[in-house]
Amino acid sequence: MNKNKNKNTGFNGTESELVAMTRDLDELHHDVGMPAMWEGVSSMIDNLRDAPAVRSTNRRTFLMGVGGAVAGSAALLSVGLNPLHAGAATIQKPSPKSVLRSAAFPPAGLKGDLAVAAVAASLENLAVYAYSAGLSAATAGKLGTVPPAVATFATTALAQHTQHAQAWNAVLAANGKAKVTEVNPTLAPTVNADFAKVTNVTGLANLALTLETIAAETYQAETAMLSSAAAIGLSSSIQPVEMQHIAILYYVLGEYPGAQTTGGATLAFSPINQAV
Amino acid sequence: MNVDPRALNELLEESQDLQADALRPTRDALDELVDVNCSGAETDAHENLAFHEGHRRGVFTSLASAPLLAAAGGLTLVGALASSAAAASSQDIQILQTAASIENLAVATYKTALTLPYIGSSSANAVVNKFARVTMNQHAQHADAFNAAARALGGKIQTKPDPAFVPVVNKAVASLSGASAAQGTLGVVGLALELENIAAETYVKDTVLVRSSTNKALFASIMGVEAQHVAVLLAVQALLNAGAPQLISLAPGTAASLPAAAGSVGFPNAFYKTNSAAPATQGAVK
Repeated sequence: MNKNKNKNTGFNGTESELVAMTRDLDELHHDVGMPAMWEGVSSMIDNLRDAPAVRSTNRRTFLMGVGGAVAGSAALLSVGLNPLHAGAATIQKPSPKSVLRSAAFPPAGLKGDLAVAAVAASLENLAVYAYSAGLSAATAGKLGTVPPAVATFATTALAQHTQHAQAWNAVLAANGKAKVTEVNPTLAPTVNADFAKVTNVTGLANLALTLETIAAETYQAETAMLSSAAAIGLSSSIQPVEMQHIAILYYVLGEYPGAQTTGGATLAFSPINQAV
Repeated sequence: MNVDPRALNELLEESQDLQADALRPTRDALDELVDVNCSGAETDAHENLAFHEGHRRGVFTSLASAPLLAAAGGLTLVGALASSAAAASSQDIQILQTAASIENLAVATYKTALTLPYIGSSSANAVVNKFARVTMNQHAQHADAFNAAARALGGKIQTKPDPAFVPVVNKAVASLSGASAAQGTLGVVGLALELENIAAETYVKDTVLVRSSTNKALFASIMGVEAQHVAVLLAVQALLNAGAPQLISLAPGTAASLPAAAGSVGFPNAFYKTNSAAPATQGAVK
């Protein structure tokens, strides 16, 4: 197919086949994927409990220190969310308390793998927020015509990020720590500002692409930094899924559907320069 | 629309503009272990592929010259079966060699697929054609990276394909004999999908199994790329099965025409599974 010639004729009469295929995959996911996920989370919890010591990470002090840098701009998200899509976390609206918690993010007492879990949960919450807000805006007609595939993408990605957040929060809860319900305070202000500028599907897809890239690269970077095998396994089971989100987003945007530079050069190895 | 997603990047530490920058994590990781004598090739796909194939020419000559995949059924890759077995080297070396063997098989498969008119010719779908070429080169780079890491640990490089999966490839290849373009494309996509998923699942598992953090980083930098291959192939397969090959396109407006289900068919699981992962020593050098 010539990229320069748009000969698309739409989709004629075979939607049911794709729907059936997706249904099968969804059933497979719930039959196989979810039990496997919770098994993995349980394993991680057990391993963290048994871990004699948490290895400190010298890779950027972001896990412990970013709070101070962003405290002044840690007012969290005020956009109303569609309650149907706010599954993983109750996104905090601005309040003195939430700002205080953000300033201390990750919460004091979380070190090593548990601190990483908190950051991961906050990134997933941010993704949940962004997709929820995007779907709400779409429903309200603020993004113009939304292609059905884009809506399905957003809905499915939102559900998966919800599960990712739940997994990390299950780890925290099992270790006697509070669940992370706030969005990542480092990125939230900028995401909020960018989201306010979104007026169409392309803008939303680009914002989602950025968030997915940050998440994927963060998980990738942490794979070599986490101490427990179970934590590595959980992180590694999520990173490829974020990468898949990225591939489909590129496709929707009409760009090559794979890892690439901002200039569009394809990459055989995923970078980590956008990891937080 | 005035969104500037790059505003987020102001929070980030490094430029993302250059290919060299993007490759730095992997290169730095390897540098810790090995005197990388193929570092120049990493930045050039063609040179890299040539380097890669220099090690494999003896294995894949007949496959490369086969006019049709059908002609290769059972002949080319089966010969490698006897030469791979459990190795006595360290666990990381064996895992790296197994990964290289999977990459070798993928390279051979894509290379052969590109000899088929409905994949490799100018009449083929442009997206599918580019995907096959780019992906083949990426697998060649992955193989070289795994082999460099294995060699740095004192192991041998793996130049042969994973023996356990060779019969699968051969069977699939044989099934393409006499296939129409549509059937053949679906067959190739299905085979590639299976190989890519095995690679992705294996590397997800390997990030846990390997002991060196450097090797963990290497596997982590590749597993997501393989998962992206899977996502693309799932989407392509779904559109082909639905009789909508015209939507396998990067042309403007395509997204608006895609069926709703196409938006999610590429990522069926919230957590990447590992039940199809290759055993760690399956492709180790004897």
